[in-house]
Amino acid sequence: MLTDFHPIAKVSVGQILGLVEAIDEVGGVADVATISQEVEMDVDRLGPILDAAEFLGLLMVHEGDVRITDLSRKLLSANVRERKAILREIIDDIPDFRMITDMGRKAGRPLTRKEIIEALSVHVGSHRAADLFKALVYWGRYVELLRYDSQSEELTLRTPSK
Amino acid sequence: MVDRPLLQVKDVAKSFFENAKEFKVLDLVRFDLTERDFVCVVGPSGSGKSTLLRIIVGLEKPTSGEVFFEGEPIRADNPQVAMVFQSFALFPWLTVEKNVELGLEAKGTLPEERRKIARKFIDAVGLTGFEDAFPRELSGGMKQRVGIARALAIEPLLLCMDEPFSSLDPLTAQNLRDEILQLWTNPDLPPKAVLMVTHAIEEAVYMADRVIVLSSRPGRMIAELEIDLPRPRNRKEPEFYGWVDEIYSLIV
Repeated sequence: MLTDFHPIAKVSVGQILGLVEAIDEVGGVADVATISQEVEMDVDRLGPILDAAEFLGLLMVHEGDVRITDLSRKLLSANVRERKAILREIIDDIPDFRMITDMGRKAGRPLTRKEIIEALSVHVGSHRAADLFKALVYWGRYVELLRYDSQSEELTLRTPSK
Repeated sequence: MVDRPLLQVKDVAKSFFENAKEFKVLDLVRFDLTERDFVCVVGPSGSGKSTLLRIIVGLEKPTSGEVFFEGEPIRADNPQVAMVFQSFALFPWLTVEKNVELGLEAKGTLPEERRKIARKFIDAVGLTGFEDAFPRELSGGMKQRVGIARALAIEPLLLCMDEPFSSLDPLTAQNLRDEILQLWTNPDLPPKAVLMVTHAIEEAVYMADRVIVLSSRPGRMIAELEIDLPRPRNRKEPEFYGWVDEIYSLIV
């Protein structure tokens, strides 16, 4: 079961970075209730963002306390371009994502949405494949490793700028 | 003429009339903006702050008073002034890149050059990778980044922002505030001055060098405060909260 992309599938980069910034501002460590109060978001909405940040290695959750990591600090002091480069390394290593980029390299041609969803369906079931595809495109575009044309529904690999 | 203000708002008042009755929304607002100013206008709802911004960019005429930009009366088609909207105002049928190119098209910039400039500002707001995406494929924060890239692409002297974060969730908003401040510290990028309208006092103190406080109905200037806190600012520090409390007590 390749479901490892799941934690970051439903949240945006901005939310994750906003959360890390907020915890940094209260001293780098806080319990979930405090964070929820600080950022004025209820725990139900905050949960998936916390999970995503933890999954990316930006937070450590231990006995109810959430702590930012060295990687977070590096990210917070980086500019927009450096942030992308840091997250690129992480995203590129996630097996779900790797599966798509390997497929693209092997095919040596643009991949269609249909064939990617078929490949994903084998692992996560067809009902989740479309959402997973959307998330892979979102993160792949953000870290500049994928290019997707939603009109032709074709996905190509991309070399990041600079 | 180095010291001439970029923008002069002179005793601006605005009334609306209904059944021969006058409703005054703004009264005697007066302030200047010079280069490197980041100014926030705060006020409760009903303080006429969005109306003020519309008057400043020339979209609406004041009932009395005047607005000068670089010493000339303001015109709505002034390419030196750009606007970022609360609702993003993107065209859903255009890609990110085409949305950003819009203002340049209006300026008559040639296609090849348009593309180059659009890409530069798309990159500056962290959207490289999304050039060919349509607005529906973007998160709220990214949509507003397109709005910002489009405004910056015309290389304005003055950037006006009308509640630019209020359609975003709190985390996305905070992240975008920080990125805008990061852009603002880059002297190679436009604009020369920023004027932002917000109802959020904390946001104003976090971002601005100067905060203009309006009262409600009609919006009158009740204070103009220099926020001399060092950057980056921490919203948890007592000095920060001192400013927030002071403005809060002025409005309530």
